[in-house]
Amino acid sequence: MDFLQPVLDGFGVVLAPTNLLYCLLGVVIGMLIGVLPGLGPAATIAILLPLTYGIDPVTAIIMLAGIFYGAQYGGTITSVLLRLPGEASSVVTVFDGYQLAKQGKAGTALGIAAIGSFVGGTIGIVGLTFLAPIVAGFALDFGPPEYAALALLGILLVATISNGSKTKALIAAALGLLLATVGRDVFTGAERFTFGNLDLADGIDFVPVAMGLFGLGEILYNLEERHRAAKAPAKVANVWPSRADLKQSSGAIGRGSVLGFFLGILPGGGATISSLAAYALEKKRSKNPERFGKGAVEGVAAPETANNAAATSSFIPLLTLGIPANATMALMFGALLIQGVTPGPQLVDQHPDLFWGVVNSMYIGNILLLIMSIPLVGIFVKILRVRAAILAPVTALITMLGAYTINNSMFDVVLVVAFGIIGYLMKKFGFEPGPLVLAFVLGSLLEANLRRSLLVLNGDLGGFFGRPISATLLVIFVFVAVWPMIQSLLAKRKANHALVTSTSQKAKETV
Amino acid sequence: MKAFPLRRAVVGLASASAVLALTACGGNVGSGSASEEEFPTKPINVTVGAAAGGSTDLIARAIAEGASDDLGVAMPVVNKPGANGALALKETQGKPADGYELATLNASLVTITPLAVSESEAVSLDDVDVIVGLSQDDYVMVASPEAGVKSVEDLTKKDNLSFGTTGVGTGSQLAQALLLKQAKINGTEVPFDSGAPAVTAVLGNQVQVATVQLGEAKAQIDAGKLVPIVVFSTERNKFLQDVPTATEEGYDIPVSQYRAMVAPKGTPEEVKERLKTSFENTFKTEAYQKFNEQNLLTPKEISGEEVISEWTELAKKYKDLTAEYDIDLKQS
Repeated sequence: MDFLQPVLDGFGVVLAPTNLLYCLLGVVIGMLIGVLPGLGPAATIAILLPLTYGIDPVTAIIMLAGIFYGAQYGGTITSVLLRLPGEASSVVTVFDGYQLAKQGKAGTALGIAAIGSFVGGTIGIVGLTFLAPIVAGFALDFGPPEYAALALLGILLVATISNGSKTKALIAAALGLLLATVGRDVFTGAERFTFGNLDLADGIDFVPVAMGLFGLGEILYNLEERHRAAKAPAKVANVWPSRADLKQSSGAIGRGSVLGFFLGILPGGGATISSLAAYALEKKRSKNPERFGKGAVEGVAAPETANNAAATSSFIPLLTLGIPANATMALMFGALLIQGVTPGPQLVDQHPDLFWGVVNSMYIGNILLLIMSIPLVGIFVKILRVRAAILAPVTALITMLGAYTINNSMFDVVLVVAFGIIGYLMKKFGFEPGPLVLAFVLGSLLEANLRRSLLVLNGDLGGFFGRPISATLLVIFVFVAVWPMIQSLLAKRKANHALVTSTSQKAKETV
Repeated sequence: MKAFPLRRAVVGLASASAVLALTACGGNVGSGSASEEEFPTKPINVTVGAAAGGSTDLIARAIAEGASDDLGVAMPVVNKPGANGALALKETQGKPADGYELATLNASLVTITPLAVSESEAVSLDDVDVIVGLSQDDYVMVASPEAGVKSVEDLTKKDNLSFGTTGVGTGSQLAQALLLKQAKINGTEVPFDSGAPAVTAVLGNQVQVATVQLGEAKAQIDAGKLVPIVVFSTERNKFLQDVPTATEEGYDIPVSQYRAMVAPKGTPEEVKERLKTSFENTFKTEAYQKFNEQNLLTPKEISGEEVISEWTELAKKYKDLTAEYDIDLKQS
């Protein structure tokens, strides 16, 4: 029972009225900034940091943590309603979320996302409570070869989850990989595709790419559509997912939670890959995968659950190892330092009240978010009743503003416009922006870690198979890549028994 | 670049004072006759060439907090990451030299980065007015306990160890490359994107050794998860008294990170004086001193002239050392 005592004491800390108030404050702010694309949790926390100087460390971190996971909830809203994924980990949500919204089922999508986020977040916290010290080691077992293998698998999943033409998905993904190479080479300092422009020295930011291709591209395309056929504003039928929807997504939520929890522990890209993997898993498991991309509720439930579980488990490296996994965690690290607490391996022993206070505040925060989201879903979906003539320019404005605030850079605004035009053209010619954006995110992860691996392994590619985790990931990679071919071969053999087809036709289909 | 409501919103938020935000709006109209009124009359922007949350950002926020109390105006910090900070610096250079646009500057940007990047990305101290030096942030070489090394001498006996750096053109890369050459250590250098992933990799023994800034590894050193090998400051770091310096071990590797406050070239003397006084008053506050302690920073509160002469000397020193030991930071 030694273990449980500090956990229970932690609840005592959270339930103090001040802490509850700051928790509420944090999640409300988080949710609001999550709705604004661009103004992410990192920037918000940086601005609010001075406010935390005067308050108790536990209280401060409870509020900052609330901002972080509150933003994950808020981000879903723009992904579903306006096709604006604010973070890489919610790109996948756009695929089915926006389709559902177009069909008048925005309420279903947001409701399922809120429930999935709640379940994913809560399972993440339970994992954090009981497994944190054990799974922290998991993050350390991931060296460059493992990240390279994971990124490779992720890029393959990008190609398999897209709908429509595989060739077009591959072309888009290749373009994404190419864009990922822009900027200074982190190994040699050489400039690549920067054309001497300092703004490109660090490469292209994710947000302008995603905002342009998805958000602005869609707006431009719709403008053209509306000239052809006047479309009434989307009807908003139901505001709450039906029992059937819930039943349909329960499996996705369960699997998404587990995937998200484990992949979220990995700093850098963990959350993105977890949402991608959760989506791909559901599509693979589905009896009729063709529904995906056309408004499948599981397609929203799985990635949203996974990215929330990942957001929670990304606290594990910070709280148990002292490693900030992303920009937001780096700010938490800074906030803790200012409070005189050094996050590190000794945090749990030296400051149990802080550790458990923060962890337990997340249970409360998640419940608060769920309670808040449900009535808000009804309000947010009303956005869709706004006429496109008003909604489109406002969305475009928010997009530009969001892009500007990330780096306080006009250059990023120009990028949004450029990618908006590309997004429009892509849509017009039947290319999906999803594979491009995801490959873009994973491309730099793959390249840097592959090169790092080759340095560590002294150039020996066989070394990838000498390490259990990277070997497993590569086996999964080969399986995922080859399985559809085997499947179609088997199916064809069956068909061959029944009727004889010409070999030339068979060869053509296999390709 | 006149109307960015959001920047104003940030200003307002940071100062938590609508009155000040209004003053900011009025300020654009006509503040040509600065001499008539006492400087400052409107908020002062501090541009940081790094993302929010890093040590450069935290230092800028701590100093802005103190100086804003002293000057009586808001000092919002504006993050403009890119090209190791060169982007922010070049932008600041183009701003009016009236004291209302300041920036933080890292020594590595003028002393080390030019050795690794192209001409167009390099910046020079000649392009700015340095107001005051801030602090010194030391690099420490750490090893995984599993690597079985405790000193530089142990490293010389090992072959095939991997050495993580925090990126190309950083003090971490330069210090480590110099030590490998000077001590004739065989090893592979592996660049990471920043300090945190490099520390993670050493904790997991993915690479055996890495050179990072002290703040990034102190907690792990205290917990016994990382073994400190050597510090690259010329004198022992007061937060890590038991760890020898490279100088003591007989190597010539004086590499630390220094930071300073700068303004666009041509800022009036009296304005610079006023700013300098406000920073010096901040140095004396308990809050700022506590901040330095917690972030393991050693105060290096020297005048602008001293910053220029010291950094210029360091730049030359690094250039000579890399030439002497045939080190090319571009080819790690």
